[in-house]
Formats: sequence, structure tokens, C-alpha cells
Amino acid sequence: MKASHTMKNRASPFASLLPALLVIGVLVLVPALGPSNRTLSLAISAGINIVALYGLAVLFGQTGILSMGHAALVGVGAYVAAILARDAGIGFWVALPLGSLLAAVAAAIVGVPSLRVSGHHFVIMTFAFGQLLAIVLTNGGDFTGAATGLDLQLPVTWFGRDAGELVPYYFIVVAFVAISAIASWAIINSSYGRTLRAIRENEKLAASLGINVGRHKIGAFVVSGLFAGVSGVLLAYFFRHISPNQFSSFPSIYLALMVMIGGARLLLGPIAGGILVSFLPEMLNLDPVESRILYGVCLIAVILLLPNGLIAGLLQGLQAIVKAAFGSRAETPAAGANNASGARR
Amino acid sequence: MDILIQQVLNGLSIASVITLIAVGVTLIFGLTGIINFAHGEFLMVGSIVTWIAVQQGIPFLPAMLIAILVVAVMGFALERGLFQFTLTRPTNGFIVSLGLIIVLQHVVILFFGPNQKSIPRPLSGVWDVSGVRIASVRVMVILVTIAVVAMTFVMITRSRYGRALRAAVEDRDTAALMGIPVRRYITGVFVLGSALAGLGGALLIALFPVTPFTGGTMVMKGFAVALMGGLGNLTGAVVAGLILGIVEGFSAGYGFSEWTDAYSFGLMILVLLIKPNGLFGGTSGPKMA
Repeated sequence: MKASHTMKNRASPFASLLPALLVIGVLVLVPALGPSNRTLSLAISAGINIVALYGLAVLFGQTGILSMGHAALVGVGAYVAAILARDAGIGFWVALPLGSLLAAVAAAIVGVPSLRVSGHHFVIMTFAFGQLLAIVLTNGGDFTGAATGLDLQLPVTWFGRDAGELVPYYFIVVAFVAISAIASWAIINSSYGRTLRAIRENEKLAASLGINVGRHKIGAFVVSGLFAGVSGVLLAYFFRHISPNQFSSFPSIYLALMVMIGGARLLLGPIAGGILVSFLPEMLNLDPVESRILYGVCLIAVILLLPNGLIAGLLQGLQAIVKAAFGSRAETPAAGANNASGARR
Repeated sequence: MDILIQQVLNGLSIASVITLIAVGVTLIFGLTGIINFAHGEFLMVGSIVTWIAVQQGIPFLPAMLIAILVVAVMGFALERGLFQFTLTRPTNGFIVSLGLIIVLQHVVILFFGPNQKSIPRPLSGVWDVSGVRIASVRVMVILVTIAVVAMTFVMITRSRYGRALRAAVEDRDTAALMGIPVRRYITGVFVLGSALAGLGGALLIALFPVTPFTGGTMVMKGFAVALMGGLGNLTGAVVAGLILGIVEGFSAGYGFSEWTDAYSFGLMILVLLIKPNGLFGGTSGPKMA
């Protein structure tokens, strides 16, 4: 559905935004159901991850570049928020654009040298930069709070009222999830998004058509950095304490895992991945160690059995059922999505 | 000066273990194009198996052989069970390896706990060579690594299996047309790489206590070394391992040990900026149709 330009599909690009908006609409209603504080905190941290996942989805799903150091970019946002609050008394709403911007700058700094090397090596470069950041933060003395990290005390206000409580903060996070979803939808349906997909499908062909592949790859990395920075600021103001190991290699692997489980090429993928990975262990009543084993097994299973992610897999299954029931002429809205994401990695 | 020699020796002993990982990583990548990040966890499993064996009262040497065997069998099972399905799409193989990291790490935590494990040093002697104190266990690690890497090297450059292997790395399809059973070689390289990781794990726990999280840092350094030398290039991996060992040793000798972990990554980024294909030029993995 996102690549409607390639389809005979008559539906306008807006149709592809509807399911995501519908899901976000449902998410807005969640506090009305009186969830427990535990559920609400889990939902908030899932939402914070989803914002970063949308950036990662632009990078991986559209451009076909995988970053294994994405948590480091989230970390840049988080540390910018904490240091601004500590040294300059600058609060949440100003920290948001600044954190986002600086994470994008960090992405550019990592991206320019990393993209000199080809696909396989790039992944390892991002991983190495992520590790380097964790080491720098740990050795940064009082400025970064070393291994213990930093505390954040400034309140979050929302139209002059305190919004640091769970419910108002949940709404703020959902708002940013919505903004991220709409922003990625806009990217996916723009000519810019088409350029990125052209690079994903065939780099040499794209270059021969006059597309500056290197610049667009770095551009996509910078865009994903913008999302990561916002996610970092949200994270810092939610947990109120940040430390280097929150942004090292393993959080990066989990981010990649979430985007992969949800499906990187679908607009609903990040939301599905973020929610599933956050809530599945809670629903199955697993302890952290067991739930991580489950994540790993899920990741392997998804990659081997449903290489386009869970949602695309479900849609494909649904489509097969519809086809079997109504004959091969039945066309579901899912068809576009599957064709768009059908080209296997 | 004495301290410096000691530190360089320490650096080299750790670099030996890293080189063992790098050799496995580089061989597997050269033949399959799969970036196997779980290789560090293979090493960690090797350490844990050694630890269990030594706990049961088995001496170090047989314990090391058991570790090599167990990890080799594990490598065989994982290649047959998982990685062989990702050969046409190496990126998927990479992602599968990320899943494996999490699974292996937490299975070990589930059964043996997250705390660090250590064994008594298999060789406790310390030689005093005109004021330089040399722990014999470190020398043992370096010597074993040199022997094993040399054996691997001779096997790959001299034997007919090695020649077939290099042909398959060069061009998988043509090699297959020449009657080389490429699939079997892929399995074989996975088993060899895993056995080297098992050996590395046994040597590592002889030097330091090991936690379930050790694999993560070690594999990153292994990849840093493999990339520096040129992915797919065996000689490159060995030389880069040597460089890293000396650099880490010197930096510890001059008192910058808290930055030790940063060197491998910093060096790698530097090398790749100057020579994107590594010091000795690597392969870019198998050619895909």
C-alpha cells in the first residue's frame, strides 16, 4: 500500500495512513480503560521505542541499510536533554528539537566515514561507533556522569500544567508516535522515499540514473537520527536517570529486533514490533531471562519463516485465505503492501 | 621497560584469543558472506564448557578438547539447522546470528547464572627473565594460538582441501561446476570456525574470569581485527591481531587501560577510512547471482 505508485491500485496514498491512525486512535483511548501503572509505564517505554523504530524503518525498510548502533543515537538525544537541563536549565520542549538535531549531526558524523565502506562493513561500523559512544560516555568524567550516568530533575510541563505523571506523559508519547508515523508516511509516499527504495533495490541502477547514492544514504541515516534524538529526549524525561549501558550494543540489537519482528517496510510495523516486544513477556508471565530467550527465538523464526516481518506475514496469510475463499480475483488492500515488500532482501 | 614488556605480552595473549575468533569469522564470511556475530557466543560457550569440565575434576587439557568438540558440534548443528537457509541472503544470516547471541547468552544465564566464572590457572609458573616476570600461562596461550593458526594456514594454502576451499571462496558457482562439494565445504568451515572459537574460549578462561557477556566484546574485537586485515583474508586477520595486541599492550603499559576497549574500534575505523578493504584487501564475500 505504501508503494501505491507502482500499483494499479486506485486507492489514494491516504488510504495507507488510515490503519496506522486507527491504531493510534485506539492507543489514545487506553488510559480510559484504567490500566495499572505497570501497564502504562510499559506502554510509555514501548512508545518511546516506537519513535526510534520509525527512524530505523526509514533507514532499513526503505533504504535497505541496517544500523546496529541506533541506540547510541537515542543516547545522544538523552544525554543532550540531561546535560542541557543540568547546565543550562533548559527544559523538555526546547531539548526536544535540540536533542533531535544533535542526534542527526551525530548520525552524519558516523555516516560519512561509515558509508565509505560497503554494505556488510557498514553494519559493523555502526556497531563499533555505538560501542565507542558507550566507552566515551563511561570515561567522560563528571560531564557525562561516568558509568553511573546522569539524573534529570526538571519537570515536564504541558500548557502550563505538570505533565510528568504517567497519564499525561503517555499522551505526549502517543502524540510523538503519531507524528513519527505521519512523518514516515510522508517520506514513504514522497519522491524522496521512491529514491531511497530505488537505492535499496538496485544501488548500481540508481546511481546510473543520476541518483547520488552516497548522499542519499547519509541523508537517510541523518533522518533516522532525527527520530532517534526525539526518542532519546522522551526516554531521558521518562526514566529520569540515564547511564551508558542503556545505549550500548544490546539495546541496539533489541531495536533492530523490534523493527524486524514488526516488519520494517510497513507503516504499522514499528508500532507492532514495539508493542509486541514490550508486552509479550508480560502477557506470558516470563522472567527477563526467559523473555530474552523468547525474543531471540522469535527473531530467528521471523527471519527464516516470515522475512518481511510479522504484520506482512499475517497480511499474506490473510490474503491467501481470502483468495482461497473467493477465488483468485479477490484483491485486498494488503495486496499492495505485499507487492511493495515482496521483493526479498 | 620491564613493565612494558609484560604488558605487551599480556596484550598479545588476549590478542591471541581475538585472532582465533577473527580467523573463524573471516573464513565463514569469505565463503558464505554471512557476518556471524554469534561467533563470540561460541567462544563464551567454549569457556563455560571448559569451566564445567574443570569443575568436574577434569584436567585443563582434556577440558579444552571437550570444549573444542562441544562447540564444533554446536557449530555443525547451527549451520545445518539455521544458517544453511540463509545462504542466498547473507543479511538474514547476520540477523539470525543476532538472535542467536541473545538466545545463547541467556540460556547460559538461565542454567549457570550471570556471575563470572573462573578456573584455577592450568599453569601457575611465573618465569623471571632478568627482572621481567612472565606468566607461563600467557606464553602457553600465545604458543597454542601460533601453532593452531599456523596449522590452519598450512591446511588452507597447501592441502588440496584448502585449494578447493579457496576456489570456492573465489567463485562459488564455478567451483561447484568443477566438482567441489561447496555445501559440504560451507558446513566444514562453520565447524572449523566453531572449533577455533571453542579453543579460544578455553584459552580465555585460562587467562581471565568469564561472564556470559564476554562474547559480545570479544566478537566485536574479532570483527575489528578481521575488518582491519580485510574480511575474508586469513593473513590479514593474523597481522591485524598482532597489531591490536601490541597497541593494547603499550597503552596498558603507559597507563591508559580504561580506554583499552576503544582501541580496537578506533583502529578499525581509522584503517577502514584509509583503506576501505582493510590492510591486506579482503573479499567482498561470495558473488551473488
